[in-house]
Amino acid sequence: MIKISNLEKIYRTEDVETVALNKVSFDVKEGEFVAIMGPSGCGKSTLLNILGLLDDPDGGSFVFAGQEVAHYNERKRAGLRKQHIGFVFQSFNLIDELTVYENVELPLLYLKVGADERKKRVEEVLEKMQIMHRKNHFPQQLSGGQQQRVAVARAVVNRPRLILADEPTGNLDSINGNEVMQMLTELNDAGTTVIMVTHSEHDARYSHRIVRMLDGQVVLENVMI
Amino acid sequence: MLSNYIKIAWRNLVKNKTFSLINIIGLATGLACFILISLYVVDELSYDRYNVNADRIFRINSDLKFGSIESKYAVTSDPMGATLKKDYPQVEEFVRIYSSGGGKLVKKGNEYLKEERIAHVDSTLFSVFTLPVIEGDPQQALTEPNSVVITASTAIKYFGTTNALGKVIEANKTPFKVTAVIKDIPHNSHFNFDFFFPMQNLDYGFGTFLSHNFHTYVLLKEGTDHKAFEKNFAQVIQKYIFPQAKQIMQINSMDDFYKAGNKIDYSLMPLTDIHLRSDRVAEIAPNSNIQYIYIFSAVALFILLLACINFMNLSTARSSRRAKEVGIRKVLGTERKGLIGQFLTESILTVIISTSIAIVIAWLVLPYFNDVAAKTLSIKDLLNTRILVWLVMLPIIVGVISGSYPAFFLSGFQPVVVLKGKLSGGMKSSSLRSGLVVFQFVTSIVLIIGTIIVYCQLNYIQTKKLGFDKEQVLIVDGAGSLQKNIDVFKNDVSNMPGVVSATVSGFLPVSSSWRNERTISTETVMSVQNSFSTQTWGVEHDYFKTLGIQLKEGRNFSKEFGTDSNAVIINETAAKILGYKNPIGQKIYTLKDLQSGVMISYTIIGVVKNFHYQSLRQNIGPLCLFLAKTDGYAAFKVKTSSVKSLIAQVETKWKALAPGMPFSYRFLDGAFDEMYRSEQHIGKIAIIFALLAIVIACLGLFGLVAYSAEQRTKEIGIRKVLGASAANIIAMLSKDFLKLVLIASLIAFPIAWYAMNKWLQDFVYRIEIGWWVFVLAGLTALVIALVTLSFQSVKAALANPVKSLRTE
Repeated sequence: MIKISNLEKIYRTEDVETVALNKVSFDVKEGEFVAIMGPSGCGKSTLLNILGLLDDPDGGSFVFAGQEVAHYNERKRAGLRKQHIGFVFQSFNLIDELTVYENVELPLLYLKVGADERKKRVEEVLEKMQIMHRKNHFPQQLSGGQQQRVAVARAVVNRPRLILADEPTGNLDSINGNEVMQMLTELNDAGTTVIMVTHSEHDARYSHRIVRMLDGQVVLENVMI
Repeated sequence: MLSNYIKIAWRNLVKNKTFSLINIIGLATGLACFILISLYVVDELSYDRYNVNADRIFRINSDLKFGSIESKYAVTSDPMGATLKKDYPQVEEFVRIYSSGGGKLVKKGNEYLKEERIAHVDSTLFSVFTLPVIEGDPQQALTEPNSVVITASTAIKYFGTTNALGKVIEANKTPFKVTAVIKDIPHNSHFNFDFFFPMQNLDYGFGTFLSHNFHTYVLLKEGTDHKAFEKNFAQVIQKYIFPQAKQIMQINSMDDFYKAGNKIDYSLMPLTDIHLRSDRVAEIAPNSNIQYIYIFSAVALFILLLACINFMNLSTARSSRRAKEVGIRKVLGTERKGLIGQFLTESILTVIISTSIAIVIAWLVLPYFNDVAAKTLSIKDLLNTRILVWLVMLPIIVGVISGSYPAFFLSGFQPVVVLKGKLSGGMKSSSLRSGLVVFQFVTSIVLIIGTIIVYCQLNYIQTKKLGFDKEQVLIVDGAGSLQKNIDVFKNDVSNMPGVVSATVSGFLPVSSSWRNERTISTETVMSVQNSFSTQTWGVEHDYFKTLGIQLKEGRNFSKEFGTDSNAVIINETAAKILGYKNPIGQKIYTLKDLQSGVMISYTIIGVVKNFHYQSLRQNIGPLCLFLAKTDGYAAFKVKTSSVKSLIAQVETKWKALAPGMPFSYRFLDGAFDEMYRSEQHIGKIAIIFALLAIVIACLGLFGLVAYSAEQRTKEIGIRKVLGASAANIIAMLSKDFLKLVLIASLIAFPIAWYAMNKWLQDFVYRIEIGWWVFVLAGLTALVIALVTLSFQSVKAALANPVKSLRTE
């Protein structure tokens, strides 16, 4: 599903050049659950951003679902994003001005899904994430765990093929963290590809494969048994 | 999707109350100004358009130069209209209006009312103008002598009903039969009369082309080009005017006349141009000026722009708060287009709310605005389709203007950057924001300078040495009503304590009094070389004393000289034109009347110092004063602390000597101020707009400082921990903004100087623009900005640093 080869990303300031990704190559197959690990600054988030089509690489190739997307413009990337990719962030990133229901509904609005279908799907996913009773609340009124569940609900409501999670449990206690990991696993079991950046060896164990990075390079890939 | 946008927009408005209030109040104020000025402008532009044939009606204007002065008249000679109709088939109809005969005393019950809004007109009035008739036959109404057409309110005033057909009105002791009652003339008409008398009842030496006293309007046939038609006037001049001119002047051809530097020229002015573009001698009523329409429209747009700028500035300044939302939306796959749509929806929503409030403000303020602008506008005028279209379009236009920059700016964020919180706050676009703040203050400072200069000029006019003493001169109107008692009245009043001197004359040095222009020659036979036109006034012996006019040489009229009825006193301008080394004792000549061509001579006995008998917009023209009874006004120089009781005594005397006649009085300085009423309106309006502009600009500044303080909470906390005093913090926060105000001043000064210098050119007598005006305006803006800034900066500086550090 994803094939990247010799991917490069360089951040330049006036007199410093930082190589964030240095010829990174790896594949992710449809239905895989991959964890990316490494110390701070090793380039994992940069990689995730590129995989999520939020950022473009400076070199190398990125094939997503059979298309070379490395040099897609913002409009094309936005199109792919809203159709195929769901995001889960460490800091939830819910829109404070919208209710739980409206936050989850948002991706469907961008996909121009009809009102009836939207209602059905939002309620279905809220039910599944067990936050239906909170649907009219605003994000600030929820606990961290609940907020992350809303974020996951929002990520999956458009039935994406790929979920990108950036330290999804980073701001949660262990019970809530485990719940979120459980959800991701269930989604993966249902066929969704999951790529997760994490610092936690515990969380990484939920994945099929761990990609370890250091200084912008993949140093080790170990398959979980 | 739209409902989602509106939802977010609404919640954002409610969440950020301060910013929303600043935006909405600023925009509402700007829009209210815009609405009021639109009402004003639409009203001004609507003048005379109620006439069905407005586009085919033209007034004949006359440009005459004879001797030294060129005058542009709104009137023409009495045979002109009929001549054009007779000779040129393009002229469908014409009508003359004669309104310069002063008012008439109209009897109501046992008393007489002075009616000023009267005119003598041709019976064709209704064929040219659209004046709907309530009763009577418009075609026949003015064909017979001693008939009169009155307006509905006049009918109600005199008869208690509009059902007045056939009733009799007594005017100047003559009975007139009401032959038609018409609807009141719309306020947006360049003439507004209550009584129309037939031309037959006008006592006038008809038939001469050389005397210009009639407002004459022609209705041209469809498809006639009025500019092309004007070429026919050359023929008219040759065929009709030359033979008459030849009789009284030594000329063999019109070329002789022109060669001597004289001019006679006629033109057609479109009816709909009169109100805004005509400022000629002998207008029926003072007109407005298209310049003020331009100025007001520009000011309204600028104020609106200031409010839009606030919106842009505050929205972009707050961008960091919205950045996260933009990031998330982008991650979820929205395109830039969608985000721009969202932010534009937000600004349009804000503007719609503001527009609603603006309409309420306009409605509340309208009575005061009417007062200041001397208008009778109504909020119902908003229902005018042209304005309605604007009212619907306005929120959209303003919303797009004020929302477009934030929309493009915010939607341009990189999602990766903003979600990581790397955005360095809203300061990225601070240079543009600074530019906009500078623009706002430039506008405000220009308006402040404009206001100061308008006021200085008005003050200058009001206190300028005019060559006569306008203080404490009581004028009693309509002295003619006293008839043979006029001298008794004058003497009795002058004997009252507190009255210094008295005089009776129709001619006073304020423009609302009589004027009489005649041609004076230095020789017995008039030729173009030896003659010039001048004002000729009839005055009494005590005229100069009462008005404080000073004699330069020679002597005043005196009762000791029996020959003074053939004496003339001239002003300095006339003396200069005559060119005599010693004018005293020299003779001048003038025609007894235009028909006979007989000349009479006068001996110059004195020269008075020039005094301003016209508005200060004009130079002092030549003036010749003759000893003659002209009973227009009785003027009294008074010196008393109890003016009220004096007036009461004068009124008692008046009632005894002129029973049933209306008593009305005014003071010369008041009549003088009347001449500058339009400038006074402009002055007041300028002040209001300058204030509003500053308020709006300061609202924006207030918001920006609030934002800046909020952004720098952490910095302020750290600085305080490190030992900065509150004063240091206030200085730090204010410095940048004050710099902008200084820059704005430097830009505003030349603009204001240029604009105001141009305005002052309208006045022959005007102030010099002093440097202090600029300093004052700059300081005012600076102080106001400083006060505004201090509200926020003091608050930020006094905050507990521990708390401010924790918020980060």
